Order: sequence, then structure tokens, then C-alpha cells
Amino acid sequence: MADGGRKRRVLIVEDEDNIAIALDYLMSREGFEHDRIASGRGALERIRTEQPDLVLLDVMLPEVSGYEICQEVRADRGLADVKILMMTARGSAMERRKGLALGADGFIAKPFELKELRDEVHRLLDAEGA
Amino acid sequence: MNLARLSLRLRVFLFFAALALGNIAALVAGLVFGFEKLGEPEALDGFIIGGVVAGFVITGLITAVWFLFDENLAKPIERLAGGIRARTHAQVETELDAETARYLGDLAPAAAAITQHLNETRSALTESVQRETTRLAQEKERLETLLSDVPVGVLLCTAEHQLVFYNGQATDLLGGTHAPGLDRRVFDYLHRAPICHAYERLLETDDPDAASDLLCASVADGKTLAARMRLISEGEDHHVTRRAGYVLTLRDVSSDMRAHASREALMDELFDRIRRPAAALQSLTGVLIADDGPTEPEARAQFRGAARAEAANLGAAIHTLFERHEAMRADWWPLAMIRASDLGEAVRARLAAQEGPDLMAVTAPLMLRLEGFEMVSLLAMLVARLGPERGDMRLEITEEGAGALIALEWRGPQVPISELESWLDDPLQVGMEDVTGRRVIAAHASEIWPENMGDGRGRICLPLREARRVSKRPPPVPRAVVYDFDLLGRAREGEVAKTPLENLNFVVFDTETTGLLPSEGDEIVQIAAVRIVNGRRVETEVFDTLVNPGRHIPEVSTAVHGISDAMVAEAPDIIDVGRRFHKFAEGAVLIAHNAPFDMEFLRRKEGAIGLSFDNPVLDTVLLSAVVFGQSEVHSLDALTHRLGITIPEEARHTAIGDTVATADAFLKLLPALKSRGLLTFGDVVAEVRKHGRLLKDLNG
Repeated sequence: MADGGRKRRVLIVEDEDNIAIALDYLMSREGFEHDRIASGRGALERIRTEQPDLVLLDVMLPEVSGYEICQEVRADRGLADVKILMMTARGSAMERRKGLALGADGFIAKPFELKELRDEVHRLLDAEGA
Repeated sequence: MNLARLSLRLRVFLFFAALALGNIAALVAGLVFGFEKLGEPEALDGFIIGGVVAGFVITGLITAVWFLFDENLAKPIERLAGGIRARTHAQVETELDAETARYLGDLAPAAAAITQHLNETRSALTESVQRETTRLAQEKERLETLLSDVPVGVLLCTAEHQLVFYNGQATDLLGGTHAPGLDRRVFDYLHRAPICHAYERLLETDDPDAASDLLCASVADGKTLAARMRLISEGEDHHVTRRAGYVLTLRDVSSDMRAHASREALMDELFDRIRRPAAALQSLTGVLIADDGPTEPEARAQFRGAARAEAANLGAAIHTLFERHEAMRADWWPLAMIRASDLGEAVRARLAAQEGPDLMAVTAPLMLRLEGFEMVSLLAMLVARLGPERGDMRLEITEEGAGALIALEWRGPQVPISELESWLDDPLQVGMEDVTGRRVIAAHASEIWPENMGDGRGRICLPLREARRVSKRPPPVPRAVVYDFDLLGRAREGEVAKTPLENLNFVVFDTETTGLLPSEGDEIVQIAAVRIVNGRRVETEVFDTLVNPGRHIPEVSTAVHGISDAMVAEAPDIIDVGRRFHKFAEGAVLIAHNAPFDMEFLRRKEGAIGLSFDNPVLDTVLLSAVVFGQSEVHSLDALTHRLGITIPEEARHTAIGDTVATADAFLKLLPALKSRGLLTFGDVVAEVRKHGRLLKDLNG
């Protein structure tokens, strides 16, 4: 809740409804402004228009993959401040490298404990605020 | 007296001599008769003079006719016969000279026609035999190449389980420290029971086409080998007899079996570790969400705590098992270790063949674990897809942790990952529809992505899980096939002394030492040996190793054999080498030039080695004495010189050079021994004992 009292904005890009429910709940509880989009298509547009502080980005999305979105965001100089936390169902070390190489700021493998996710979200946003 | 045995000319001469004698006898008889009838004694002188004159005239005429006959008939006939014989037996190909036999009518032209026809037929036959021999030799060579290149080990064994054929892959599979050798027992390399069992089973079927699949294990290192056994038919009707041998093809399945077992174990563990927390979670959430579930805060807290713990268990199990799965995944694909520079060169060659762009390959000295052909196809496809708008391409392979990073770099526009992903869905040009870039990457348990390197450069990264620094290139699998099919029909002999020499196996060896006095502490620094099987030196079966003598090698000895302290510093000791040599020499007659010297060094070490060298022994010094007599010089140089064997200067006084020379000398001495009636080992030893007392010691 830093940054002059402005609420942090988080965009959740996740196609699994049950995980999205939990993420919505967590973001509300942490006091973030948040929104969710269930498909990769349109996610980039939303990121451009909403300019969130953080994108919780699932890798395995229908139509457009999380990697693709990540690369596009990083290629857009106007979105340089947007943090990306990638979430993947596989979570191999190779995938982590790939995600980080494509510009993700953090990487978390499913299944994860909500506390783990919360800590990672704070780490990224606090680093930005620092 | 059989006149037919006399030469033609002598017979003709005898005929004319008889004619002359007959004429003279008739003349004398006629004159005596006329003289008696006349009854005038004073006419005797006239009769005698007339008789002598007539006798001379008759003898002269007959001699003249004989001379003409001899010159123009008998001599030409003998010359002609000799000419025909020479052309028949000695392969002389010049035409017969008809002029020398001009008085023999048509005989000389007829003989010339016959010999010419013979020559023509013979050269046609020689030509066709030569053609056929060349064809067979080429066919043999092709078959050898084919058999040496098949990726399975192939063994051919006699009914007594002795090896008569093996290829390089078999050497590689069975090897260990004890490489296979002709006429050795297959059980020296493979455990006996499954082989015997399969062989007996096949014999019982009496079906020449039957094959038996079996699993066996190598003796040297316990490799699990999948084998197929098929009997060899004997005779033209392909009837399988009790004495038939068999072919054994071998494939190493140890890694397959290990991978399969580890995969099975992982699957079992996966189900076990997921089922329990999943069942607990299902029960706990069932209770928590039930309409009549617990309402008291303590009870709910207890259930929630338990559910949280089980969820954590489940998450942890999935993560750890996934990590292990990822680590093992590449093991389940048949990947080989390939040199990074070879990969770079192969990609360049592929691009050149496709007239694609040139690529600079910068590779670290690494061995990469990958499927070479598919990886080359993938990288070549990526270069092609990057297209002409990107230039200055580099393939860089660098070490990265326990693995390596393959990076394809260029100058030009960046590649969107969506485009890269779409390239990976197309089949690669490997001849199989379902092999796509994505599958190749999955087979290597890897990922691929593009990176912006700044300064207008980009790259595609493909990490590999496993790589290691290049050490010395391992010796290639020998391509040669080694065989002697004559061994298939060779009867097994019992007692060595009664065995014909050509049926014995010999190991010819030589040692280099620190000095000449084993009793004063001199030691072996090198042993070399070759095998002679079925009267032939088996070129590929060589034992050649340095030995660490555990002491200083005097400079004077180094000057002779060229082996220094530094060269043997890393070499195995005599105990290790002695055991290996003992195995190499098993069942063979040992041969050395001046054998007592080399045997003394070996026998002094028997205690330490734990084995005794009780093989029968032959000494080429003494064999030379038997063949060439005691007065000759019997040094190895003198012996090989006498037998027309040249030792290359660089090989002289090396253990292997002297060994090969001794072996070749022995092979040349064999026929000489046989021609002296020394046919068996016992015969030779008995003869040799006349030339020296040394063999008494060596052969008990």
C-alpha cells in the first residue's frame, strides 16, 4: 500500500477458475486492486490499458501462452514498470530459466501455498517501491 | 628288359645297330656259304676283303640313315614332346617351333594347335577364376564391413562353445579388461547357464530356423545383455546335427532395464505419495463442508490444520517427484555422448548440403548428451527459419553447470516466441512424420526460447541437461571382424603332447625389463603378446602393456627399450598385468625367443599374482637349432633374417615388435618342423631336448 497511498493494481491472468477464486481472495485480503482475465488473448491489451503494478501470469493459457505475453510486455518500453510473476503447473528448472529469460520477475510452481505466493508478491512489489 | 622305358633316340639307335649287326651277320653268313661252296682256299683273301668292304659300306649306309633318322625324326620328336610337356605342366605360353620338326609332317603343326588351344583354354579359365576370386573377395569384404558395422555384438560359437567369429561390438560388450579371442570359451565372457539352456532347447526343436531369445550377463562387468541364439546348419540339407554351432547376437539392455526399473519405481512412489494425502484431504474437506460438520472452533481448527498439512504434503510430493521425473526423463531416451565440435561441424555440413547460410561454430571442449541426428536437424531447421534477413550467424556451445547451453546467435530482427513455437510444430526433415522440434526438445527434457542480446543481436537458447568436459577421446569400437571358420570343424584334442602343432593355440610373448638379473631385483617393465590360432596370427588379439616395476629403470636399460621411469609411473603393477596376461595366455602354449629368461621373470611373480604360469612352453631359439643346426647363430635378428622377416627399425627392441617377429618366425618354422616329421607338440619337445636342457625345466 505504498506509493502515496495508491492501491497496488494486480492483474490475474489465469484460466483455472478455482485457482482464480483463491487468487482473487488473496489479493483482496492483501488490499490490492485486482482484476482477472481467463484467456491469453486480450491479456496484453488489458495490461497496456490498465498498466498494473503486477501481473500474476499463468504459463499454460489457451490461445496465447504466458511466455508470449511476457515477451510482448518486456518488448514494450511503456510497460517497463509492470512486474510479472509467472505461475506454472510444471515448474521445471528449465521452465524457470525460460520464464526469467523472457523477462519474468518471479516464478512460482503450482501447486503452491498461498503464503508462498503472498511472500513472492510482496517481494516483487516492495522491491519496486523501494 | 623293358625297351619302352628307354628313350626314343636310344631305341632308334638300338634298332639301327641291330639292323647293321643283322646285315653284317647275313653278309658273313653269305660269304662263308659261298666260300665253302667254291672250295678254293686261295679265294679266302678275296672273300675277306670283299666282306670287310661290304661290311663297312653296309655299316656306313645304316649309320648314315640312322643319323638322318636321329636328327630329323627322333630328336625333333623328343623336342616336340618336351615342348608339349612344358606347355602342359610348366605353363609356358610361347608357341611351339614347327621348323625343328619339319620332317615330321603334320605332327608339329598339330601339336602347336593343341598347345595353343590349351593355352587359350587355360588363360580363359585363369581369367574366370581370377574374376570369380575377386568377386568373392569383394563380397567377403562387404560382408565383413556390414558385420563389423551392425550395432549389435555378433558371436559365432562351435558346439563346444568356442568362439570362431566376433565383431567389434561384441568386443566392446564383452570386453572389460579381458577382450574376446578366437577359440576361447564363450563362458569366459558370458555366464554359462542361460547359454547352455538355450542351446539345449534349440537342439531339441530340430528346427534349423528356430531362434531362442535369452537374457544373459557379461562375466567382466555384469552387463545385462539381450541375446538371440540361432543354430548353424551343417551339411547341405541344412539338417541340424548334434555338433552344430550357433550364432549369438547381443545387445546391451542394462541401461534400458535400469531406466525401466527407475521409471516403474517412480510411478509406484508417485501413486503412493499422492494417494495418501489426496485421500486424507478428501475426507477432511468432506467433514469440514458437511452440513453436520464440526461447529466448535477447536474441532474446526483441528480439521483445518490437518487439511493444511495434507495439502502441503501433496504439494511437496508433487514437486519432489516432478523434479526427479525431470532429472530422469532424458535417461529414458537413447541419447549418446557427442562432442560439441562434432555437433557444430555436423550442423555446418547440413547447412552446406542444403545451400543454407554459413555458420560460425564456437564450441567449448564438451561432450554433450544428445540425439545427434535429431539435434542437427532441429538446429539446421532453426537456421533456415531465421531466414536471410538475419546474418552473422554463430552457433555457440558453452558449459553451464552440469550441462551446456546451445545458443544460436544472429544480427538482425528479434524472434517472437510465438513464431519460434510455431516452427517447433512442423515435422523435421528426419524422415519420420512425428518427429517435430518440440518432440526433440522434450526428448532432451529441455526448453527453448529467444533472447534479445541488445546491439541488434538476438539468440535462441537451448540448454542441455548433461555435458562433461572432453577428456581423452575413448577408443572407438573396433570395426574389424575376427574369424576363422575352419575352427568350426576342428576336433578338440586331449593331451597337448599328442596334439598336432596346427591344432594348438599359441601365445607368443616378450618382456622388457629393468635388467638381466631377476635374482638381483630386476623387474618387468613391459609385456607384449600375440595369439596364434589355427596356424595364423590373429592380428587384432594383442596384449601390449607397460608395467610399473616399483623401482628405478637404469638408463642403460632405457637406452635399449626406450622405456623410462616417467612412462611407467601411471602403469599398473605386475600383479594386475600378470593376472591379465595369465588370462590372455589361458589354454595356450607359450612361445618366446629365449623363453627361460622371460619365464624366470614371470615365475618369480607367481606368488604375488596368485596364479601359476604352467602352460607348455616352446623356445624359438631351440626350434631354430632343431631346424638350422646348432652351429648357426640363433639370435632373433639372425633367425628372422634367415627366414626373410624384416623387423621395422622402430619396432626393434620394443616388446610388441619383437613379439610379432618371433610369432612370424615361429609360423615359418612350423612347416620346416613338419617336414622333419615333427608333427605333434610331443615330437617337437622330444627333438628340442636333444638341443638343450632348458626345456626340461620349462615343460616339467
